[in-house]
Order: sequence, then C-alpha cells, then structure tokens
Amino acid sequence: MTELIKEQHLLDTITNTFKLKGRVIRDRRVEVFADKELVSSILLFAKNQQGFIHLAHMTCIDWIDENKFELIYTIWSPVEKIHLFVKTKIDRENPEMENIDSIWDQANTYEREMREMFGIQFPGLIGEQDFVLEDWDEMPPMRKDFDTAKYASETYFQRPGREDAKDVRETISERSGTKVPDFAKKYSREK
Amino acid sequence: MINDKDSQKIVDFIQNFARKQSLFVMAYGTGCGAIEIPATMTSRYDAERFGIRGAATPRQADVLLITGYLATKTLKRVIRVYEQMQEPKYVIGFGSCTINGGMYFDSYNTINALEQYIPVDVYINGCMPRPESVISGFVKLQELIQQGKADNGKKYRENLEWYRANQKKIIKNWKMPDYNW
Amino acid sequence: MEDLGLKIFGAILTTILGFVVGMTYGGIVRKLTARVQNRYGPPFYQNFLDLLKLQFKKTNIAHGFMGHMAPVWIIIAAVTVLMFIPILNGHLWFPNLSFHGDLIFLLYMMVFGSLGMALGAGQTGNPNSAIGVTRGLSQMVGYEIPFVLSLVALMIQYKTTSVQDLTQIQHETGVWLAVANPFAFLAALMASLGMFRYSPFDIVGAPAELASGPVSEFGGKYLGTMMSGGAIFSFIKLTLYVHLFLGGAGNPEKTGIIAILIGLGILLIKTFILYMVPVFYGWINPRYRTEQAIRYFWGWPTALGIIGVLWAVY
Repeated sequence: MTELIKEQHLLDTITNTFKLKGRVIRDRRVEVFADKELVSSILLFAKNQQGFIHLAHMTCIDWIDENKFELIYTIWSPVEKIHLFVKTKIDRENPEMENIDSIWDQANTYEREMREMFGIQFPGLIGEQDFVLEDWDEMPPMRKDFDTAKYASETYFQRPGREDAKDVRETISERSGTKVPDFAKKYSREK
Repeated sequence: MINDKDSQKIVDFIQNFARKQSLFVMAYGTGCGAIEIPATMTSRYDAERFGIRGAATPRQADVLLITGYLATKTLKRVIRVYEQMQEPKYVIGFGSCTINGGMYFDSYNTINALEQYIPVDVYINGCMPRPESVISGFVKLQELIQQGKADNGKKYRENLEWYRANQKKIIKNWKMPDYNW
Repeated sequence: MEDLGLKIFGAILTTILGFVVGMTYGGIVRKLTARVQNRYGPPFYQNFLDLLKLQFKKTNIAHGFMGHMAPVWIIIAAVTVLMFIPILNGHLWFPNLSFHGDLIFLLYMMVFGSLGMALGAGQTGNPNSAIGVTRGLSQMVGYEIPFVLSLVALMIQYKTTSVQDLTQIQHETGVWLAVANPFAFLAALMASLGMFRYSPFDIVGAPAELASGPVSEFGGKYLGTMMSGGAIFSFIKLTLYVHLFLGGAGNPEKTGIIAILIGLGILLIKTFILYMVPVFYGWINPRYRTEQAIRYFWGWPTALGIIGVLWAVY
C-alpha cells in the first residue's frame, strides 16, 4: 500500500483525533464513520486544519431493516485531491440532525431536500417548507415504506393496457398486415 | 343563388384552410422531448414549410405542444398556459409520458394520462418520437382541422367542471386566477 | 368633383398596394431566409395565411381602452402616412396629399405608430411588453438621429421640404440624390437597418428573451391588425427612400396605363433591392444589445450624416 500514503495519513489523523473507525476505500477515497454529535466537529476540523474546503455533496440512505437513516457528507480537498466521506447513522423515528449551513452555505439546499424527501429535521434551517414538491401532505416520498406505485395508482389515472398482452411489434403486424421482423421474434411473449 | 348553408360551407372551408396552414406552436418543453423541437424546426426537417411556427406567448399560440412527462407542479403551469390561449386551440401530447406515464408510470409526482386534465387532439407516441413522427402528428392535426373535428377548446369550456374536478384532485392548493374566456 | 372621385379611388388603390406589397415582401424574406438556412421554407404567401388565421381567431381578453386602440392606432398611422407618400411621381391616380413641408410632417408621423404600440403595450401590464417598449424607444432614439441628419442635408441642399419637389429635381436633372449627396444616402441607409427591425436590431421583439416584446399580450385580430400596419409601414419607408434618394418612379409627362405599370414595376424593383439591404445585413449578424445598437447608430451613421450636412452647406 505504498501508493496510499497520503490517504492513510489523513485517515490516521482524523481517527486518532476523534477516536473513530474508518478505512481507505481506494486512492483518493477515504471514509470515516462517526456519531451524530461528532459530525460537525469533524467537518470543521477537516475544513480548517486539513484543507477540505469544499462540500461536494450531502445525501441520505434509508436503511429500513436497521431502522436507521445514514447521512453521508462528501467533502473535497483541492490540495490533497482526496474525497472524504463522513458517514453517520441517525434514528428513523423523529430523525433530527445538526444543521451545518453555517459551515458551508450550499448545505442549505441539500438539507432542505432531505427535509422534504426523508422528513429529517434540521433545527434552525432557513427556507420554505416546500422545496421541490408543492403542497405535499403525504409521507415523505423517498422513504422506503412509502409505496409509490400504490400512491400513483390511487392518485393518477392509469390507462389500461392492451388486452392481448403481446409484444408490441406483433400487435402492429396484426393490425397492419405486415410481417414481424426476424430480430423481433425473440421478444415474443407467446409460448 | 347560394343559400345560407352553402355559403356557410364555403366560409368554413376557407376558415379551416387558413387555420390548418398557419399553426403557431407554443412548445411547452418539459422533459427530454424539448430537444426534438429544434431538430424539427431547423433545416433537416423544416416544419416551417407546413406553416408551423413558434409562438413565444400563449396569447398568440394555436397549438400547445407538451413534450414529455408532467409533474403535478408543471401541470399547474400547463393549465394556466392552456387557459390563456385563445380559441381555437389545440393540444398535442408528445411521447409516451403524456399517454400513459411512460417510464414514470409509478412515480409519485407525475401524471399518467394528460387527457384527463386538458383535452388532447393528437397524441404522438414514442420515447422519444423522432422529428418525422412529430411532423406526421402535425399533419394529422391539420387533417382534423380541415374536417372541422378539432374544437377541443369548446369541449373544455363545456366540460369545465369535470376537468376542474380532476385538476383539483391533484393540485391541492389551487391559487389561480379565474379567466373569463 | 371628378377629381375628388379619382383621388379617393387612388387612395384606396394605394392602401391595397401598400398592404399587398408589404405582406408579400415579408413572405419573400421568410422564404429567402429559409433558403439561406438550407431549409425549404414556407410559401411566399404564408403571411397572408397567417393574417387570415389571426383574423379568424376569437379574442376573449380585454386590457383596457389603449389595449383595444393600439392596433387601430397603428393602422391609422400607417394609412395616414401612406397618403402623404408619393407612390408614382406626379400621377393623378396616386395623388397623395403632399404639400410643401411634408417631409417634416412625415418625420413626426412615422413615429406615431410606434407611439401607439408603446401606449397599448403599456396598458397590458405585461413586464415583457414594458421592457420591449423601452428598448424599442431607445433604439428609435438611436436611428432617428442619422435619419434626420440625412433629411436635413437634403433640405439644405435643395432648399425644399417637399418629397414631390425632391423627386421632381431628380427627374429633371437625371442625377439621383444618392449620387448628389452620397453621405446623406449612406447615413439614411444605415438608419434603415434599425427601422426594419431585422437582426441585428431585433432586440425589441426577441422571442426567447422577451416573449416577443411589446406584442406579447396581443393575439388574434389585434396581432393581425398590427401585422398589416407593420407591412404598410415597411412599404412606406421603402417608397420614401426610393423617392428621396433613388430617383423615384414614374414619369409625370406620361399618364397612360402602360406608363403606370412600368412605373410600378420600377418602384417594385427599387424597393425590393432596398429591402434586401437590412435583410442581408441581418443574415450575417447576431443580435445587438440596446446599448450596442445605440452606439452603432451614434457612431458612423451620425458622422456620415454630419458630413452630409456639411457637404450640402458648402
């Protein structure tokens, strides 16, 4: 692992400072796993001490089996050329996370999106309740226990499908009296 | 001596011919279909030879071309644009998304069948339809206009309550002005 | 009394001529533009079909008094100005109400249509209209200066303010004013680029940017009437230029039907060539912003206009 000296060094610095677990994924990719309370300290440390001046992305994953939301903060150092992933897991019931838009302004956008799509609350977050959706009063739609197909079939008008349930080329050939091209025969649904 | 019926026929013929030969299109470019419009209008396919021409505002437009999926949020704007257009007005639904939702059939915020919300004259299927299909859709619309069958603006006016009920079912916060068209 | 009947007949004929020629030129330009862009293009009578369709459209909106009046105002201005333009030099059928000093009168009246448009667009309350009107009036301030300078040069040079007299002078001496005072002609020609509002001076009605600018709230019959007014106005400008600079058309000594047809033919050829100047210029130039347009007009055209005035004085 001689090529990954700077990644290993960074990982050691952060894990030793905060007593964390982490790993080097590959060159230029480092991830650390932190508690929810430590995240803002780690981000501030990385920004001020290690040169990670850019918040590239924030996202959320719904681990419904563990009953957890995982939040991932991706930050980037233009000097070291390393992406650092800070990952944390929070409770799925009444999810709440610290607001970091005082560290990076652009975090505001991601946090508003997460508030809308997953229902995670960020205390002190500025901005309208509606971000992308308009007048949404159901469960936040990106949660895994939200049944989007059921919701769509109840809310919107479904057009009934063709009754023959054949491959579309066969239907066209029947109606127009032309032959089905050879390459299309393998898609036939007739046994 | 020409009686009233015959003269009305002649007037209708001229009227429909002029309407058919001069279609000002308001291209509502949602989704990926918007990229097919430049190809249709520019030199390779040149829709202007059919008298099809872009209009910048709904007041001047005859055709509302909806080029792809419609989120509930977008539908609100489409309804506003449609109601600002002056009669006679036509709607062309473009691509699978306007017909049955296409690949977004189970999405939580895109509508599936456009004609439940505003009346549609012609659907062009395909994902995406090529410029040839777009032009053939316009030619189909021209045939309908020449036969005098395309009067969906009237249909919308007469069945307004039914359309409004459908629209309000998904647009919960209805903050729109009432038009006296 | 016979004279009056002929005059009314001539006035109607002039209006129809101006309308048909203006609309047809617009259609030809659409066709030519399409050919330049390697397209097939609409038929040359497409503008007539558009107009017919617009007149058949229903209108169910009201924007107040000036909103209704603006198209009427434009077409009134167009027909009024047309009455003061000599179509054929000194012919009884195209009498025109010309009088001594009509050149100055025309200078004022040609702004009238734009003014009606501005008032109507202002009443519609559409922000795009307001921006479009602002840009249009600023651009007008730009091209009016070289245009007025070139006309002033002609007035000084020949000590007359009558279009008829200027045409007559060209007819008698056989020298076109475009040759007699080339600087004034060039200044007026460059000002005409802005008058026709083809690219690069089409920021007034930029479709993608301003949603067609001042006319964005006008549809149907309103737009159709404005289109007719615009067509007549373009014919007015072209005819005025031909009579001021390019020797005019028609021969006052011959009044037979053949002579009229020949005169009209010459008029059409000259106006068409003149019309191609802004169109050609537009094909090869992208759109100017307002301040770029004004800088353009207040640069070389104004300088040429001043030189033209000096040329006329000395």
